Amino acid sequence: MSETVSDEDAPLRQRIADNPRPAIRWILGALVLVAVEFGAFLGLVFRLLSTIGGLFPDNPGVALFSRLEESSEVIPTLLSRSLIPNDGFYNGQQWVDTFLGLEPAYAWLLRVLLIYAYAFIWLGWLWVGYRTFRQHYRYADWTPRDDVVDRLRSHRWGQFGFVLVLIFLVMALFAPALGPTTAEANLRQPYSHYTEFYDEETDEVRNVTVGTANLGSASEGNPDSNVGPWSYDDFGRFHPFGTLTTGKDMFTFLAAGARISLMIGIVSMVGAGLIATGFALLTAYYKGLADLAVVIASDSIQALPVLLVLILASATFSGTWLAELYNGAVMLIAIFVLIQWPFLWRAVRGPAFQIAEEEWIDAAKSFGQKPRTIMRKHMLPYVIGYLLIYTSLTLGGIIIAVAGLSYLGLGITPPTPEWGRAISSGQPYVATASWHISLIPGILITLIVIGFNALGDGIRDAIDPQSGSGSGTAQESKADEAAAGGGGA
Amino acid sequence: MSETVQRDEESVVDDALVEVTNLKTYYGEGGLLSDNPVKAVDDVSFGIRRGETLGLVGESGCGKTTLGRTLVQLERATAGSVSFDGTDVTELSGDDLKNWRRNAQMVFQDPESSLNDRMTVGEIVREPLDVHDWNSSRERRQRVRELLETVGLREEHYYRYPHQFSGGQRQRVGIARALALEPEFVVLDEPVSALDVSVQAKILNLLEDLQDEFGLTYLFIAHDLSVVRHICDRVAVMYLGNVMEVGDGEELFDDPANPYTHSLLSAIPTPDPTSQRDRITLRGTPPSPRDPPTGCPFSTRCPAKIRPEAHADIDDDLWERIEVLREILRERNRADRSLTERARELLGMDTRFSDIDEILQEVFQTPAGTDAGTGTEGTTESGDPLAGVPSTVSEPIERAAEHVRSGEEGRAREVLREEFGSECDTEMPAHHEVSESDRTSLCHRHKFEHDEPSAFFERTVFDG
Repeated sequence: MSETVSDEDAPLRQRIADNPRPAIRWILGALVLVAVEFGAFLGLVFRLLSTIGGLFPDNPGVALFSRLEESSEVIPTLLSRSLIPNDGFYNGQQWVDTFLGLEPAYAWLLRVLLIYAYAFIWLGWLWVGYRTFRQHYRYADWTPRDDVVDRLRSHRWGQFGFVLVLIFLVMALFAPALGPTTAEANLRQPYSHYTEFYDEETDEVRNVTVGTANLGSASEGNPDSNVGPWSYDDFGRFHPFGTLTTGKDMFTFLAAGARISLMIGIVSMVGAGLIATGFALLTAYYKGLADLAVVIASDSIQALPVLLVLILASATFSGTWLAELYNGAVMLIAIFVLIQWPFLWRAVRGPAFQIAEEEWIDAAKSFGQKPRTIMRKHMLPYVIGYLLIYTSLTLGGIIIAVAGLSYLGLGITPPTPEWGRAISSGQPYVATASWHISLIPGILITLIVIGFNALGDGIRDAIDPQSGSGSGTAQESKADEAAAGGGGA
Repeated sequence: MSETVQRDEESVVDDALVEVTNLKTYYGEGGLLSDNPVKAVDDVSFGIRRGETLGLVGESGCGKTTLGRTLVQLERATAGSVSFDGTDVTELSGDDLKNWRRNAQMVFQDPESSLNDRMTVGEIVREPLDVHDWNSSRERRQRVRELLETVGLREEHYYRYPHQFSGGQRQRVGIARALALEPEFVVLDEPVSALDVSVQAKILNLLEDLQDEFGLTYLFIAHDLSVVRHICDRVAVMYLGNVMEVGDGEELFDDPANPYTHSLLSAIPTPDPTSQRDRITLRGTPPSPRDPPTGCPFSTRCPAKIRPEAHADIDDDLWERIEVLREILRERNRADRSLTERARELLGMDTRFSDIDEILQEVFQTPAGTDAGTGTEGTTESGDPLAGVPSTVSEPIERAAEHVRSGEEGRAREVLREEFGSECDTEMPAHHEVSESDRTSLCHRHKFEHDEPSAFFERTVFDG
């Protein structure tokens, strides 16, 4: 007993100092993982800082941070396009300038595989870190959180969702390194960048602007002018997902667009979900007037035609600083949060009311628990499951809605890549040779919705001790229950 | 200390820990649409002595759970006071209330619903300690383990979830949680009614052991009279928000004073099949707590209701029929009428409320022995339904029927009340002291000019 005493009273720092070996081993591993991508990490940090700086009207430090971001690109990283390049040209005999003289498709594939391998190694290492903490540094042999983790570990569908979501997050995170070319060169400023290609007629290597090359690689529906998935264009450039109607590389477009599309989708759903949960708990706990007020507020919002509000708000705020923030994404998020919370709140209000009637709420009141804690501890775990499912289902709708707005010229300002714009630009070509333009981003949206939905499912089951997917432990506890039942009441 | 002594002198019982005075808990007051609040607890006074178990019995919906919840301040009292060890707890709020809550805890009826399934048993029992910042967290864990042992569970159950336990074990967890803060007073709200009979006895024994060990004071709410007899020192009988009788348990069970207690006790089944004991069957259903009777709360169903002088000599069967008629008219008043029915009534069309002649036919022409109002077979459809009824009775009934025909049912009820009603219908009885041991009973029959209820039943039901 005395051992546990000293253990649980000591802070984590003390516990690590007492037994530093496992911690040091883990930290060294983590340092190695960081070191191989140090430049990219720095770049990401500065990118984030300059983005945050850009959110404020007078852009403090944006210039500084973007300069720092550029200079951080000089630091060699393992998974960069400069180390494993896929931009090259065929000089008649072999590929020049690509990684080990490989065909660009394989060079690109290798880089993508390495990036995902790296991401999953990180994931594995974090898991090792958790196990290390659990084994060596936590004072308790067991906490309820362990059960949650164990249930998630045996929940295949949830894990599938987790992996799917992770794939998309990695795509957004590593977007600059993932694409066969960069968003800057291919999408934003194609006429300031050059690409080399081998001209068969003259048997020489020529240099053209990317913009010119794009004009020749557009996918416009007929087989003569179409660059489909997994193919090369006339300039020897490889397009894993084909090209857009403008001739721009779609994979680069989608990878860069994942950042903004996923951000709009996820942030607005999280925002709406938070408001909905907050109101659901408050109205279910206090009932009466609080409930009535929220009902009226949400009904008023729900009565508005969504598209009209979006158009109205976009038009009203266009040209103001709010509309400029992050290419208009911040305003879109704000509007979607405002419009979406009543739907989510309606969906979880019923379950919240049901839970508020349970006797354990009365029990908690009877020993003087604070209302806030009652809501968080005794009501929230039951409501969150519903919310996860509803929010994940609404996510796809948001990404599509952003696309619809772009279509009307109200969404994300071009040329900033955004998934919905790819879909709407490909719509006229769905039945033609350029079917890939709409289909591939559509599939991606479907996958991400499935991914979040499955993950939500997994989390919902994981936080419910009665879901009974904890295979071995369930059997064991059944046996114990029987034993205890014999002894006790 | 001297203060306490003084207060004790005034109080209903000696050495009272909890003292309830004129307590009222109404629901649905102040709403826009509800003018009549539900009077769940309506003017209740009693005391609970330190270390005793007071049983609270009554049929479903009589307000006993509401009373229990008001005592632990889960409901706000509308009026009156609950004095706990000299402090009026209905006045407490904020930190004072939170601190006081340590003294009074509650064990809930349904062990399935009273434990949060997402928390481990240890967390559940520990929560009250966390709320009140009880000692260090290590001591809290230790205390929870001790508590689990105390209520007959095992230490290692700390890490189990409630759904891994049986109903009896879950109730033990609920008891452990209630005891965590070492309260003096525990409200047990039907703690065993959701459990198997074999488990009930174990939990009851546990509760008794815990009471001895920790000197607890219990308010034991139940509708199972045999359980109450087993565990309670004193018993309070509730009906329609009022305490009808309160006093020593054994005495109350052996020699009930109040007519309601009589009928309640007569409902206990006897294991002897040859037993000839007559049961007192109550007529109808309890009145709505929104609109309780003006006089005695039990007056609408009381088998021992006092008759007015003028009608003292009519036979019991006819008297019963008159009471049924009055009950029907009251029920008609309570029934909700839809808009269509009101319209039909205005247009003089048939409504589902049958017409007064049919009612009279059913009430007064059904042969004796069958339940009045169940059928009309064997009766002569034509002819005066009141034929064969003495004129002293038929004349006011005719007058009332006339009022009903002209749509003034309120007047009709008034006529019947004036003619056949007694003080039971008009006056709230006083709490009469009915024995040496401070037992009180709410009934007009305890006044010296009337027969005692027990004498009345002796004469009518049990001899019949």
